[in-house]
This record gives sequence, C-alpha cells and structure tokens, in this order.
Amino acid sequence: MTDASIPVTQSAVERFTERYLRSLGCSIERSDEHWMVSVPEDTATGISHGEHTLVRGAGSPDGDDDSTERLHPESAFFQRLLREAGERSPTGKLSIESGSDIETPEWIQGGGVEVQNVQFTPYYDRTAVVVLFRVGIETVSEYQQEFLRAIAVDARSEEHLPRLADSFLELTSVESGKASGGDAQLTQTEAEPLLDTARELVLDGLQDRLDEIHREASRAADSEVEEYRQLQQQRIEELEEEHSNLSSKINDLSEQINTGDEDSRVRALRERKELKSEYEELDETLNELRERRDHGFPARQREIRERHALDVQITPLTLTEVEYERGEVDFDLYEESTSRTITLGYGSGIGVTETVRCVSCDKEFSEHNPLQTISNDLECQSCAKEQ
Amino acid sequence: MYFTHTCFYECMSGYDLVDIEVTHESADDLLESLSEAGAEEDHLQSIQAVRLQAGQPDSELRSLKELDENSVKLLEHQVDAAYRALFEMDGKALLADEVGLGKTIEVGMILKEMHFRETDESVLILTPAQLAKQWQAELREKFGLDFVCNYDDDFEDFDAHDYIIASIDTAKSERHRQTVLDRDWDVLVLDEAHYVKNEETDRYDLIDRLSYNYAFFLTATPIQNELTDLYNVVSLLRPGLFGTRDVFHHYFVNSNQETLVNRDELQDRLNKVMIRNRREDTDIDFTDRTIDTRTFDPTPKERELYQAVSDYVKGAYSQDQGQKLVLMLLQKEVVSSPVALKQTIEKRLYDQSELTHEDELESILNLIDEIDTVTKQERLLDIVEEARENVEMGRVIVFTQFRATQQQILDRLAAEGYTVHAFHGGHSSSEKEQIVENFEEEGGILVSTDAMSEGRNLQFCNILVNLDLPWNPMRVEQRIGRVHRIGQKRDVFIFNMALKDTVEEYVLERLYHKIDLFQQSVGELSSILSRLEESGTSFEDEIFERLVSADSEVDLENDFDAMAVDLQEQRELADKLEEFNSGVFEGFDLGESDD
Repeated sequence: MTDASIPVTQSAVERFTERYLRSLGCSIERSDEHWMVSVPEDTATGISHGEHTLVRGAGSPDGDDDSTERLHPESAFFQRLLREAGERSPTGKLSIESGSDIETPEWIQGGGVEVQNVQFTPYYDRTAVVVLFRVGIETVSEYQQEFLRAIAVDARSEEHLPRLADSFLELTSVESGKASGGDAQLTQTEAEPLLDTARELVLDGLQDRLDEIHREASRAADSEVEEYRQLQQQRIEELEEEHSNLSSKINDLSEQINTGDEDSRVRALRERKELKSEYEELDETLNELRERRDHGFPARQREIRERHALDVQITPLTLTEVEYERGEVDFDLYEESTSRTITLGYGSGIGVTETVRCVSCDKEFSEHNPLQTISNDLECQSCAKEQ
Repeated sequence: MYFTHTCFYECMSGYDLVDIEVTHESADDLLESLSEAGAEEDHLQSIQAVRLQAGQPDSELRSLKELDENSVKLLEHQVDAAYRALFEMDGKALLADEVGLGKTIEVGMILKEMHFRETDESVLILTPAQLAKQWQAELREKFGLDFVCNYDDDFEDFDAHDYIIASIDTAKSERHRQTVLDRDWDVLVLDEAHYVKNEETDRYDLIDRLSYNYAFFLTATPIQNELTDLYNVVSLLRPGLFGTRDVFHHYFVNSNQETLVNRDELQDRLNKVMIRNRREDTDIDFTDRTIDTRTFDPTPKERELYQAVSDYVKGAYSQDQGQKLVLMLLQKEVVSSPVALKQTIEKRLYDQSELTHEDELESILNLIDEIDTVTKQERLLDIVEEARENVEMGRVIVFTQFRATQQQILDRLAAEGYTVHAFHGGHSSSEKEQIVENFEEEGGILVSTDAMSEGRNLQFCNILVNLDLPWNPMRVEQRIGRVHRIGQKRDVFIFNMALKDTVEEYVLERLYHKIDLFQQSVGELSSILSRLEESGTSFEDEIFERLVSADSEVDLENDFDAMAVDLQEQRELADKLEEFNSGVFEGFDLGESDD
C-alpha cells in the first residue's frame, strides 16, 4: 500500500500556502525574503484580517509583532493553515478523466513488440470512494508510528481498486492546483458500508508491518520479563544467604543456651526468640517469592505484556467520491511486418482490468513474462525463445 | 460510531506475543459533511493538507547550506549517515563506520541540523580524555558549534553549561556523577562507544542511567572481545531490540563466539540502529604522504646545554615532583631553541625568584648566551630553499610549539629574503583569516604555533616542517591534518627535524615511527590513543617519567623501546580488532541504501 503522505519541503509549503491563501481571497505580494499577505475582512479563516508578513524559511523575522509569521515546514503558522484547510472540506468529488494518457501494461511495454496506437472507448461511468486513513501504532518500546494510507473501493461492487488509489494520490499531489469534481453525490447511508469495507482493507494492507512491530514489542516485553526474573532470582539468592546466616546464628545461640550460665542463657533465649521470628518472616517471604518464581511471576508478566501491548488507531480523515470510466482499450501492436490489434477491458485510473495469456503455454503475461512476439498470435518470451 | 476490537494472537516462534488492540475512530463527522456543499477546490486542498500533515516534516538536512565549504567538505556517505540517523532511526543511532571515514563529521552534521531545528537545548558529548579538545576544535572550526570542554578554565559543572564535551571518566567521577544524572539531556553523544561494552562497569552504569532524548554512539569496532559486546552497546541505545541476552546468544551467536548465525535477521535488526560505511564503498582518496625525518648533530655547545638542562630537570624533579609541568616545558624548549628556553629560565629566576637552583639556572643562562649557531634553524634554510626552487610559490608551513622560537625563525627567514607570515594564538580570528589568505596569495613561509592546529585548512600548501615535536601524538596529527586532508590534490611532504641523542630523537625514532604515526590514516591514531588511555597511560607523562628516571643512556633507550613495544601492541590490537569487526560485518549492508 502506497504511503499517502507528502514530504513537507519548503517548496511544497510555499506552493500550498500560496494557493490556499489565494483561494480564500487573500492577495499576496512576493519578494525573495518576504510575502506580504493581505486578508480581506469577510474571509472565512482563522487568520486575522489585515496585512501579514510571512518570512520565508527558518530565519528570524525582522519584526516580532503579531502580523509577522514564519513560513517553513514546522512553523506554527503553516501548521495552523494545514489544520484549517484539512478540516474545511473533508468530503467531495473528483473525476479521473479518460483523456489523460492511457496506461500501457508492463507486459506489453517490456516485451519485443511496438505499440503503434492506443484507443480507449469508455462505455459507462463508474463511481468509487477513496478514503484517506490515519493509522497510529503505539507501543511503549517504540515511538508512536503514524501512517497515512489511501484505500479505493468501487461504490457498486465494493471491489478493492489499489491502482485507483495510486492515481488518486497522483491527482492530488501538491503540484496539482485544479481537479474537476464538485459536491459528492453519495448519501451517508450509501457511504457507510463502503467506509467499513475500506477500514477492513486498510487493516489488511498493514498486516505485515503490524506483524513486524508486534514481534518487536513482544521481544521487548520478553526482555523485560527476563530482566525481572533475573532480578528476583538474585533477590532469592540474597534472601537464601540471609536465611542460612540466621539459621546458623540461631544454632549458635541454642548452643549457648545449653552451655552458658543463667544470665547469658536468658540473654541468648531472648535473642533467639527475636531471631526466630525474623527467620520465620524471612522464610515466608522466601517461600512466597519461590512460589511466584516457579509459576513464572504471572501477575508481573501480565502487567509487562499489557504495558507492551500494541495500540492501533485507525481514523478516516477524508472521503472522496471518484468518478472514473470503464470501457475497452485497443492496442495496435506492430512487429516487423506483422500488426495486430488487441482489445482489453480498461478503466481510467485503474488501467487494464483483464489478464491475457500466452497462446502457446497459457501462462499469464506479466512484467516478468512479457509479450515477445505477435507473428503467431500472442506469445511470451520463453515460448518465442524455444522456436 | 465508535468501536473497538481486540485481536489475540497465538504464540508463535518462541515469543509470548503481546496483545494488539485496534480502535476504529468514529467517522460521524466525516459522513455528515457529505451533505454539505463546498467549493470544488476546497476538497482538493483538504486532501493536500491532510497529506502534508502526515508528511515527515521536511526530511532534508536544512542546515547543509549554512556550512562553510572551506571549513568542511562533506562526503556523500557522511551526509547519508547523518540523514539516516536523524530521520530513519529517530535520532538514536550507532555510527560504526570503519576507521577514518569521518564519524565526527557525521555527528557534527547531526548536531548542526538539530541546532538549526532548535532541538538541542542541552547536549553532552562524552569522549576519551585525550580526544575531548580535538572534538571541541573540530565542532567549532567545521560546524561553528561552540562547546565548553571540561578541561577549559571556564568550565564550572555539568549543570552550568548547555553544550558540554567531557571525558567520560570525569562525568562518571564521584564529584560530577549526580549532576550529570540529575539533568535531562536533549542529546547524548558517546565517542568510542565500545568502552561501555561491559555492563558491570561504572561507565555502562552511567550511560544506562543517563536521561536523554536523542543519542549517537560512535565506534569503528562495536565488538571488542566477544559478540555480546554488540548486544550491550546496542541495548543501551535500543533496549529490547535484540530481546534478552540469552535469546541473542542462542539465536545469533554460534557457540564458539566467533561467528554470527541467522545473519539476515541480525542485519535487519541492526539496520534499524547501526550505520557502518566501509572504506571501499566511499570515494575517499588521499594523496601520498612522504616523510623525511632529518636528525642533525648538535654543536658541542648545544650538546653541553642539552646536558645541563636535562641534568637540572632530573635533579629538580627528584626533589620536587610538583614542578613537573615547568620542568617538562624546559625539556621541550631546549630542543626547540635556546631563545625559548632562555625566556622561561629568566622568568623563573627574576619573576618568580627561584632560589633553590639559582646557580644551576644562572649557568644554563650562560650556556645559552654562548650559543651562536642554532643548528635546526640553519638546516631549516636547506628545506625552505629547496621548496623555493621546486614548489608553487615556495609555500612551506613550519610548526613550532613556542612563540620565542617562532619569532626567531621569522626574523632569520626574513633576513634571508623570504616572504614570511606569522600565525599564533594571539591573533583575533579575523586576523587569522587574513594571515592565511595572505599566505595563499603571496606564498613564502608560514611559521605557526600549534594554535593553527585548531584552525584553518591549508590544503593549498603541501610542505610541512615539524621544527620541534609535540609529545602528544594527537597534536602531530592535527598539524598534518591541516594540509593532508580531503581536497589536497598534491602529494604531501612532511619534514621532521631533531637533534641527535636528544629526547626528541627518542620520541621520533623510537615512538612515532614505531606506530607509523606519520603514515596513519586520519582517525587510526585516535583509536590507538584511546586504547592507551584505557590502560591508564598519558603519553606526555609517560615520556617525561621515563626520561627523568632513567639511570643511564642504555636504560633510557631500553625504556623507550619498552614503551614502543606497548604502543606497537596497542596498534596491533587496534588493527586486529578492526579486521575482526570487518570480518563479522562482512556482507552486512549497513551503509547507505540504494533506494
């Protein structure tokens, strides 16, 4: 699944900021170091109306007043702008035009045949939804990780359309200033099941990554459990030593009681009593500790593993209704003196939707098994070699 | 709609797996907005804003363009390492390049970038004692980063400054330990990180308890004795990455401790925290270096003076060891020039009213006055004359440790008609810049004290003369490093001058040549020196002690030979370790990635 985030370079920052401010109705005078931005009075934005100076890059602004702001990837102003723009219109509609380049499949591109002409004939319009999800994964042993993922599903069939998601990301890059569309036509009731399907798909697509983080977190927990176990073992050994010291002290005292005079006997008796109670306490602690050890410190293990548990949060941020066209595409192929036209199912934004097989070996054409010759119908590389 | 479900995974591959809890956040607001009308471009902008919010905040090294190209030439692998350490390893990395590839530069870039992004309110760099000043100089000269060093006069304590370079042993000492631990550091840099490999030492304990947000550990040899060393160093940076010690042992190390097994898995995990560039993968290319060591017979009067000073130093030291520093100074000055010696002795006699050895000192002064030919200075003329005829603009740099010697040489060379330039610590930094510029434009001879070592780059010059030799090999390397560095296009010639049968000849012949000091690639020396330091040896003290305690010439020679053997051993050990680590990591791709 493609990463849907956009690297926040200075040029991306400036391009987005300029377009957004202009769309609000602001005017901008640009110079090398500064932008003078004028925000009209009735503009629907959190930026106060009036004149603002934006200082490009991270250098310190000349003035320190409220109307001077910095413009760079981490600047507070830019972050504020992103939040505002992000919440402005989280749903809408975009169209993927069929007029744009027709995608030639890799199994034709990588082979030995030339494509002379391509013709797409759209038969019907289709609708899909593309949802941008923020996925947060948190564990105690790793930093919180966040991803942004795009999932596209066909509105009618609920078919997963990964290539449409890629086209959507291309269409909505910072470079593109305009995209045709309008208001979404889908109702809440129609959108809801599509969103549920998309949620399942986004989780499926993250499975490998999740498994990896999961294993790491489990390892870290294991390591902590082991450390705890060693610490307790050490404690047990210390207590055992203390235990045996007390025991021999008690024995010594018993000896004294048997042999000493009355005074020292009384003293020894009193002392032995104290030591015995200490001994018993220690005995109890030791037994308890040993028992916990023999059971593998279940409570502590549970506590550690709970603390290391993975917390995955999936939040849908935008939902876009995407119109695309489905139909057929004709590829006119040419090889030496032979030419041949093949017709394949095709969708704008999703490419060729049909698989094609080699007439000789019936193996599916792919990037690794490209079309090699059309002189004797469509044949793959390995079959062409054999001849 | 807000729902949560928890998946329980079954035990697999020997781990007790922890739970995964998946929460799907509510989409009510999102769905509600479907019924709201908006402008066409608003939705596109919302999508772009959401995508930008998720983007890495500008993962490029923004401070790069702030660096002065004349001060530091960055190599691709260094930029790449800094980038990965910061952005791909979340600011916790083990930089384990092979020796000589510029790990300090990598850290310099990292710190510069953090400074630029204002995420470095407090930085602590821990190094072996002998390398602390060098770190300070390099960060200042190459990256414009000012750090206070625990050897500076104005160093107060670990809570009094925000940018500190300190020897790790100072930091762990009883006096400072608590102050170091009480603070939350933004950044911790640990040089020669393999010295914290042993989890039972105070050093390990210190690093283990230190509180920090980002950490960069440096070592060319993460493994010192056994592969568990790697476990210990990495676990300090990323606890839990390797699981328990037992698991690491059973899973990655074969029983005879010498090879690693399950290497793919180990590489995957190491890749999350360790960067190791190999020399063969980089484009570092140094020109050749030719060493010409010239020893001269002193005149009888010079010989007599040397003997008198040596006898005095020996006698005085046996009576009062508290004078070590000044006695060491005299012993160094006598081989530099009589005039340097004279100044110190006069100061002692007349300013500090030294009375116990008055007669001896007076007679040394007489001996100095009797010297009319200073051999080294005469022979220096041969070298500079040769250079005047054969080298572009006759550029030569002459290094001496003493201002008095420097002045005398300048006068002498000027009298012979040479264009001369003086460089010493007394100049302001703009004056220093001007001097270097003049030297480049006018050519001739630059006579410099070691103040130059912490300064500029002179790769436009390729001849260097060590008129006298510091007893600290790092200083020698710093001198050479001024001219023999990346960017030097010609072969470099180093002339060493020494008088026969003097301490200088011993140091030069018996020690420096034994460790191939003059042929070391940059960085190799620091690994030898930090090894020496581990065995509790300060180079200068060692030399001095041997000199004053030898009973006879033969004794002295034997002493120096013994020291050379030690050095040689350290060097061999350093080489061996380097080789061993190369072997272990061979086939591991821990350097720059191809994508």
